[in-house]
Amino acid sequence: MAHRPILAALVVVLLLAAGPAPAADPLVISMWGGNWKDTVEKVIAKPFTAKTGIPVEFEVGGTLDRLAKARVAKAAPLVDITFTTSHVGRLYMSDGLFQKLDMAKLPNARDLAPEARRSDAHLGVWAYVYTIAYRPDQVKMDITKWADLWDPQLKGKVGMPDFDPSHIITISALLEGGDERSWQKGQERLKRLKPNIAAFFSTDARSQDLMKTGEAPVQVMLSINAFHLIEQGLPVKVVNATDKPGIVGIDTMAIMAGTKKSDAAHQFIDLALSREIQEQLVLTFKAGPTNLKAEVPAKLRGQPGVFTTPAEWRERGYIMDDETRAKTLPAWKEWFNATIVAK
Amino acid sequence: MILLLPAILVMALLAIALAALLQFSVLEFIPGSLRTGGLTTRNLDAVLSPLYLRYIWDTVVLSALTTVLTLVASYPVAYALARSRSATMRSLLLVLTLAPFFTGAIVRTYAWMLVLGNTFIHWPVKLLFEPAGVLIGLVHFSMPTMILILAAAISHIDRTYERAAASLGARPWRVFWRVTLPLSMPGVVSGSLVVFAWTFSALPTPELLGGGRVKMIANVVKDLALDAFNWPGSAAFAAVALAITFLLLAVVTRALTRAGGAAA
Repeated sequence: MAHRPILAALVVVLLLAAGPAPAADPLVISMWGGNWKDTVEKVIAKPFTAKTGIPVEFEVGGTLDRLAKARVAKAAPLVDITFTTSHVGRLYMSDGLFQKLDMAKLPNARDLAPEARRSDAHLGVWAYVYTIAYRPDQVKMDITKWADLWDPQLKGKVGMPDFDPSHIITISALLEGGDERSWQKGQERLKRLKPNIAAFFSTDARSQDLMKTGEAPVQVMLSINAFHLIEQGLPVKVVNATDKPGIVGIDTMAIMAGTKKSDAAHQFIDLALSREIQEQLVLTFKAGPTNLKAEVPAKLRGQPGVFTTPAEWRERGYIMDDETRAKTLPAWKEWFNATIVAK
Repeated sequence: MILLLPAILVMALLAIALAALLQFSVLEFIPGSLRTGGLTTRNLDAVLSPLYLRYIWDTVVLSALTTVLTLVASYPVAYALARSRSATMRSLLLVLTLAPFFTGAIVRTYAWMLVLGNTFIHWPVKLLFEPAGVLIGLVHFSMPTMILILAAAISHIDRTYERAAASLGARPWRVFWRVTLPLSMPGVVSGSLVVFAWTFSALPTPELLGGGRVKMIANVVKDLALDAFNWPGSAAFAAVALAITFLLLAVVTRALTRAGGAAA
């Protein structure tokens, strides 16, 4: 009898030591940080966990940092799903880092715009454009077209990304009758833009800082970032350029080769492509849905980067060829650094 | 010998990393692919092109200017820190010197962006996204270390030498120039070497204050590796930069040691 309290205490200690029942093995998503991760966590991951009981964890980082990480962890992937831009997806594929998707497990993919089917290994989850965004309180002229970037009134006011100059290189080529494959046609035009360039940025956060501080009040900017600044109360105008369309960006999802959670990963992607989730993504990001059945609020229809019909996908944005972009980016960067960035 | 084992292990790991870097530098880059091709000298040839040599030259110039300006700006503070009779003053200077260490490079650089930009002050000349702005940021970043090294050197100077010079009729400025400064040369040499070496590999300061327009070696290595995903090109540039760093450090050490020896 005297041993009972000791025995009870031992049981309690053992139960405490055992801890709570282990949660299910989490699905790990590789994602950009900040607003991107927060939105995906809220809009896709939470309903996914509620539906399947599988927790979701995130590994955040920049587009190419994550690619470098994936490459060194190739034998044993650290993540199950990767969100990345469509052309960088090609780089993952070149090294066999993505697995082929089982379309039978992705019924919602049937409603995707054809442009969002980037390959048999990665599918578009939302779209946006790189377009002109500017602060009317700091710029006296009304900017309506890409060619306005070359206006002498914008001397020392323009900012653009230097980590990936493909947008402005392609726009310059398009304005000169070429495209990304014949990009050399726009070289002379782009050289003439130099006096107007105030700064280059290497991250979305820097782009937004430059806009906020007014260091670069006119930018070749991601439409989602521009809408984000507007929501924060900054007076920013997003231009629907009249001469050439914006350069479309499609962020994609893919499943890592070698993952042990392929079924759960397919479920996650299918949920992300469902009409309901796509509608929430549109509302949160002000991005274009890739599911053509998703309803877009009237105030967002016609906005840069928001495409609602197959015709709009074709006509209101310029989609670069992923493979050309992935293969030519190093040459573009080298030329851009030597000719445009260098003083 | 056993006590040396951890150090030898660390050095072995670093040697393996360096070997991997050198190996990558001679492999062919295939655009649009993460795979590399066979052996090639093309990456090293590209690094020796005028564009990349200019980045190296810019880095050497910025590092040298940073070292000189940091030395000039830090010496009076270090002198006051070592020689002030007021304990309160010494404590205050020490706190002010150490304070930047607790804020981190990124926070300090963002603060400089606000100061050098047009947010609060309208400068008559453009400083942000110009070499001058990067130089200011690098000098500020380097000053605390330089001050501490110089203050340690100055506080070790036997003051009887200075008193002897003064008793022989030397004016204070002459005492400083002929006695104090030469005797503090070990600190000047070590501080300059430390500042030169770390400025040579600076990344966040030129990245943020340079706005992409002022690039130093580390920025170009990052650009090649993480933006263009040209790992072989990046490895070749890093290898060449490393060789140049060793060469420059050897030259600077020799020059400064000679100057120190001659002055002493």
